[in-house]
Amino acid sequence: MQYHYKIKYVTHNTYENPVNNALWQFLIEPKNNDSQFLETSIFNDSYNTLVNKSINGYGFNTFKVTPKHQITDIIFEAEFSLIKNNIEIQSQDSKTYKKDIEELNSDPFKIEYHSFLKDTVLTTLPSDKKNIFLFDDKKTTFENLKALNKWVFIFLYYTIGATNIRTELKDLIDYNKGVAKDFTHLFCAVARQHNIPTRYVSGFLNQDQSYFGNSEIHSWVECYIPNIGWVGFDPTNNMLADFNHIKIAHGKDYNDCASLKGIIFTVGKNTTKYTVKVTCQEYIQDKLASLNHISAYKKAL
Amino acid sequence: MESKKILPIFSSYKTNPVFYDEIFKNDKEIRDTYGELFKLFNEYKVDDFKLLNEKAKLSFLNQGITFQVYDKTTVEKVFPFDLFPKIITADEWDHIESGALQRSKALNLFLYDVYHKKQIIKDGIVPIELISSSENYLDQMNGLEPPGGIYNHISGTDVIKHSDGEYYVLEDNIRCPSGVSYVVSNRVALKRAMFGVFNNYPTCPVANYSENLLEIMQSVKPAGVDIPTCVVITPGIYNSAYYEHSFLAKSMGIELVEGRDLFIEKDFVYMKTIYGPVKIDVIYRRIDDAFIDPLEFNPDSVLGVPGLFAAYKKGNVTLVNAPGTGVADDKAIYTYMPQIIKYYLNEEPILNNVHTYHCSRPKELAYVLDNIDKLVVKPVDESGGYGISIGNKLTKEEIEKVKAVIKENPRKYIAQPIMALSTHATFIDEKQCFEPRHVDLRTFTLLGKDKEFVLKGGLTRVALKEGNLIVNSSQGGGSKDTWVLKR
Repeated sequence: MQYHYKIKYVTHNTYENPVNNALWQFLIEPKNNDSQFLETSIFNDSYNTLVNKSINGYGFNTFKVTPKHQITDIIFEAEFSLIKNNIEIQSQDSKTYKKDIEELNSDPFKIEYHSFLKDTVLTTLPSDKKNIFLFDDKKTTFENLKALNKWVFIFLYYTIGATNIRTELKDLIDYNKGVAKDFTHLFCAVARQHNIPTRYVSGFLNQDQSYFGNSEIHSWVECYIPNIGWVGFDPTNNMLADFNHIKIAHGKDYNDCASLKGIIFTVGKNTTKYTVKVTCQEYIQDKLASLNHISAYKKAL
Repeated sequence: MESKKILPIFSSYKTNPVFYDEIFKNDKEIRDTYGELFKLFNEYKVDDFKLLNEKAKLSFLNQGITFQVYDKTTVEKVFPFDLFPKIITADEWDHIESGALQRSKALNLFLYDVYHKKQIIKDGIVPIELISSSENYLDQMNGLEPPGGIYNHISGTDVIKHSDGEYYVLEDNIRCPSGVSYVVSNRVALKRAMFGVFNNYPTCPVANYSENLLEIMQSVKPAGVDIPTCVVITPGIYNSAYYEHSFLAKSMGIELVEGRDLFIEKDFVYMKTIYGPVKIDVIYRRIDDAFIDPLEFNPDSVLGVPGLFAAYKKGNVTLVNAPGTGVADDKAIYTYMPQIIKYYLNEEPILNNVHTYHCSRPKELAYVLDNIDKLVVKPVDESGGYGISIGNKLTKEEIEKVKAVIKENPRKYIAQPIMALSTHATFIDEKQCFEPRHVDLRTFTLLGKDKEFVLKGGLTRVALKEGNLIVNSSQGGGSKDTWVLKR
């Protein structure tokens, strides 16, 4: 089954005092991979500035904007359309965690995935909370991660405004309230604690279903499971990443995937408001099938 | 012989048999190399010499050759300069030069490897932990091809002479090694102060460093550039090495810029000038990795250029040295240097390594904790002599403190036997005579595309406090001119 998505992203930034010099970097363009194909991509701002298409440190596409005017408010608009396939996971190939430990602890494995095994400032468990969630040796690695997914979902309450972009896990665990990035950070920390390479993924979420976090740029994780490969888990909604999840980029934590980074030379307050609109329609891949469908309809008439 | 007579300013010079003294074989005999120099110093009375010394110091101050120490106050200090030079014979120098070059090349190959296939780790020579737990390893550098395949264009290798008369490497500095401006200005100051001294000593010049550095920078220009435009980028006037940055830019004939002077458009780097933007191809950056690009690294940095890393990643600009080199000048990597040299170059190391204990290994940690009074404990990722504790100088309470600190984070510390740094005659202002003081030597090695250069000379750093072994300028060290003799 294929799905056709239209995504609209709008940001409105206002500044108390005029900005003479600024640079914004948007990491919002969906990437092309096995399960998704980007058809069109449009980016614009209210000043019609020449937009530079660039990359970030990990090679994901970014848009960079440097206005040539003095500004006090600016609107950025992006529109993407893409085709998304359903993701099927060969979960029957996963071995028990006990059997996988050997491979997870082997040097070649650790060398290959070392970037996604180390803790960052945002994904370090406090020293007395290292055993906050334990894996079951007898279950498969995949099932263990599903259990972790559920545990994070239950442990944290989805609350907007309870945390900020620099909230560390020690505070998060105390308050157990957060948004998608906090769910993701907690999942990353526990999975890495069990030697599972885990990366932070940012992306869009289908808005037709009432998922948590679908009004913003969403985040979830991808874990590398031996014999299966990278598998996406969405702890905010206790589900696997599927055709509802449109990936933009991945990294070690939020800092690598922040959708908007800006360097602005000004004083005073500034506000950023953004909206995301994701619409999805089923897409019939087989043109012949659709023609048959139409002719059958005509006949019926 | 007249020249062997001990001068009045040398009358209280007492050599210590524990250390190798570079001037005196014993209390009476002078080493042959220094014979002629002694004859010359013989002509000075103490007062003459004092005056000479004062003038040399003043010339540094007047030229603005100063540095800052990071402390509560910011005081501009003159880097103390000693008129009595260190002399290295041609044979001795060949040994140091080939050793320093060998290390730089091996480190470069090591860096290429850890940011690509990581074969040395797969082959079990270096443990993965050294990379995965290093704060200086940049994931963003993975798979990136730096122009010419060079990461550490500029390396500073610190060597010392042990009591056995052999040279040992203390550490390799391949992030932003500083000190080369002092090498050149020390020579200028000495030439002015001691007119004619070089008639007796055929010494290799050091002023050619800048032209070689420029050639190295030009050799690693991005693909598709004919005549590269090079700049030096500095954090600004408040940086402790600002004089050096301005000196290098001036002597290479290129612009000295700060982050705000550059901007990025379409992933190319431009410099703002009164004639309009000028495209920049090679940047000698004297800003730490974390601060070069606020979009990619420390977001609070105002020193760097937003978007610079993307331009670098796309191959439109070359950064000298490459970001992420810090992973290899980690003091924990230092201990693997003999194996690293053997692995990549299939050669025996020319310069000796000091034996090192890793506190990350339980057995060695136990040894370190038991013998802390005989060891120097260093943090692996600090530079400038910060955080070092020397066992035999500590009180009992301090020893307990150090032990607690090590136990808290063993990976962060290494320990080495206390090395007997050689001593050298140094004029002590308060006593108005020469006394032996500990010295080390920083050499400067340049690597470019099909080009290499080792500065014939270096920065001899001297610990001015009696018995002190830490020579870093930030810890109250001074410097001497270093002469490498021609054949």
